[in-house]
Amino acid sequence: MALVHKLLNGTYILRKCPKPSVASCPFLSTRFADYCSSSLEKPVAAPGKASSQRKTEGNLEGHHQREVDLDITSPEDKPEVSFDKAIKEEIKDHFRRLKDDIVNHWIGPEGRPLHEVLMEQAKVVWQFRGKEDLDKWIVTSDKTIGGRSEVFLKMGRSNQSALLYGTLSSEAPQDGESGRSGYCAMISKIPTGPFERKRFYDWSQFNTLYLRVRGDGRPWMVNIREDTDIIQRKDQMYSYFMFTRGGPYWQEVKIPFSKFFFSNRGRIRDAQYQLLLDKISSIGFTLADKVDGPFFLEIDFIGVFTDPAHTEEFAYENSPELNPRLFK
Amino acid sequence: MRLLRLREVKAFFQGHAASHQLGWNWIPRLSLSPKGLKILAASLSCCRWLSDRQRHELGPSHPAGPGPLSGLGRYLQHCPHRSPLLSVVLYPQVTPQAPRGLHCSTAAHNPDSPLVPRPPEPQRGLVKALAPHEELFRQAPDGVRDKASFVQAVQNFTQYNVHKRGHVDFIYLALRKMREYGVERDLAIYNLLLDIFPKEVFRPRNIFHSIFLHYPRQQECGIAVLEQMENHGVMPNKETEFLLTQIFGRKSYPMLKFVRMKLWFTRFKNINPFPVPRDLPQDPVDLARLALRHMEPDLSARVTVYQMPLSKDSTDATDPTEPHIVGIQSPDQQAALAHHDPARPIFVEGPFSLWLRDKCVYYHILRADLLPPEEREVEEIPEEWNLYYPMQLDLAYGRSSWDDYEFNIDEVEEGPVFAICMAGAHDQATLAKWIQGLQETNPTLARIPVVFRLSASSGELLASSSGLEETPLTPPEGREEEENNQQRQQQSQS
Repeated sequence: MALVHKLLNGTYILRKCPKPSVASCPFLSTRFADYCSSSLEKPVAAPGKASSQRKTEGNLEGHHQREVDLDITSPEDKPEVSFDKAIKEEIKDHFRRLKDDIVNHWIGPEGRPLHEVLMEQAKVVWQFRGKEDLDKWIVTSDKTIGGRSEVFLKMGRSNQSALLYGTLSSEAPQDGESGRSGYCAMISKIPTGPFERKRFYDWSQFNTLYLRVRGDGRPWMVNIREDTDIIQRKDQMYSYFMFTRGGPYWQEVKIPFSKFFFSNRGRIRDAQYQLLLDKISSIGFTLADKVDGPFFLEIDFIGVFTDPAHTEEFAYENSPELNPRLFK
Repeated sequence: MRLLRLREVKAFFQGHAASHQLGWNWIPRLSLSPKGLKILAASLSCCRWLSDRQRHELGPSHPAGPGPLSGLGRYLQHCPHRSPLLSVVLYPQVTPQAPRGLHCSTAAHNPDSPLVPRPPEPQRGLVKALAPHEELFRQAPDGVRDKASFVQAVQNFTQYNVHKRGHVDFIYLALRKMREYGVERDLAIYNLLLDIFPKEVFRPRNIFHSIFLHYPRQQECGIAVLEQMENHGVMPNKETEFLLTQIFGRKSYPMLKFVRMKLWFTRFKNINPFPVPRDLPQDPVDLARLALRHMEPDLSARVTVYQMPLSKDSTDATDPTEPHIVGIQSPDQQAALAHHDPARPIFVEGPFSLWLRDKCVYYHILRADLLPPEEREVEEIPEEWNLYYPMQLDLAYGRSSWDDYEFNIDEVEEGPVFAICMAGAHDQATLAKWIQGLQETNPTLARIPVVFRLSASSGELLASSSGLEETPLTPPEGREEEENNQQRQQQSQS
């Protein structure tokens, strides 16, 4: 138990996020009350279930209250508050995942045989066929900075797609420092392994991102974040635009990874580098087109594939005018 | 005589300016000695700021007729008192008032006159603080706010303020006012705003200037102008580049931003695979036509306005009894509708929203539900049907059996869409007219039951469970969501 406790703390140090004092000593009985109260305050699912603990830990990772309207406790989901049992189940779950991980390592990467992984040319990374698929995503809007946009995520028609909808409002918050506002985003959660260790996606064999969406004509922006092993890379991301057509037909959007440009803290950098695909941490969709009004985006699935006709490595040259040092 | 305080100078001038409107009843609180008057006149000697009235007021010994120095100045020249000049810093907000007084008549002015109203006096500490030059933009309160009046306001600033005092504030104010005047996408206006900066003053001259941000407020202001251009998608041109070089120099931050804009705008100019023209047509029928063409990927589809006898031509959308109805249908859809089994109903669903740049329009679709797998028949084309070219061409990427570019997932399958339409009203009556019009080219439609599934307008696609049958409930609901739609249309267009 102490080992697990140390490991839990250790993972937080590795992730370089503020150590949450609440979850630090879940085993001490005096702290149980604290844990209970804090998890009851949060608008997430009932405490006492293993999933809730994972979610609170996810919440403490630094995303403040982003699951707006996502998880509402269903009335039949009455919590049976038994923390001993919950924590024991959680520990068992983590150990099971660790065991699976070790066993899968012998079979091949991620549990699939090596030849299957190497020959794979099209892979579905995120699909939306059930509620648990929606849990892998976080939705944010400019409410976090005081704006008025709203965004919600729910399962779409006949549980076969996800519907991201809401209202965009570019009214700037009156906080004295924001001049503009109005954005909504849907970001995927960082994949975690056993004991909440950070994982990443490895898409080095693929070269195109494939999305099957149905929008309303608004331009979206697709952002990819790389794995942050090295500190202070959390503001950097690679982005590109996704133009939806609108209309009742499903639209296939294929964006080659060579088209993604590099940006830091929301601004395009002068020195552009190629997106390296071996350590991808998350993908996100943002809407910030300065037009007030309702919007929706229906997503069927998100996949990656190898487009053999696409041979470009990187689409943006560095200009000697902007970056003289690169050309010395 | 004591030295003049700045506020006394300002009070004099404001009183002077205000006296146009108050009919000369106002007596200046400050009794200026000749020395004070001389100081004022000397600093104002480059402009004719004193009216004829002032000349009369000062005394009959005054030589008549205009001269290079205004009346007061000439009066003071004879003044025995000489004193070193004080450089009086005059608030430029005062300056535009007086010149208009030069040309006005002696009649008393009423507050409704088209002259610039009296500016608020800063000493009084008004609750609502106006920007320093805001009165320049209130030239004609009844007049139309367009490019000409905006240009006029800018030119007034430059003309009567040779030293361009407060130009940074003025430029920020002008950037904020651009939207009201409707000129936010006009490159000439941005160049005009950049022209307000004094030239060659802010360029760094030695290495210390270039290390430290030389004239930081002005550079920030230049960047703000360029940033507003960027927000509205205006591409700067050579004139902008020349102006920026002249004002800030080639190594400054505004110039750097200009280079970045030039680079990234050209890179991203044509990346939209479904471009929408910048100026959308105002006519609703043309707009509907554009939107339907935008949505339909099949190029052989036909926009059929002629099929709707109650739409088209000169029907204005405000007329509630005859809204426009524009539909689109492709030959494939026609064929599919012809093969549709009459025992199964087809649905009119809507309204769904479509955004074209910043305008939201609504459309309805005619579709059928998906056939269950056992009833689906696969049409087989015999191979020898056409010997000249293959009827089915499978241009997949796969080179051989080891290539598999298919995703391991079942895609969302939905029923076929037979036609799309855009109508002025979203109620059942209008859509029924559309169906009637469709029947002309799709005769089988007459035998197929049509169910109207008009949802509450929430901007999202219908959930499959909220289907409404053709019951008496639909008309009131139709009216409700028509109101909703109109509200939302107004809201989105406002």
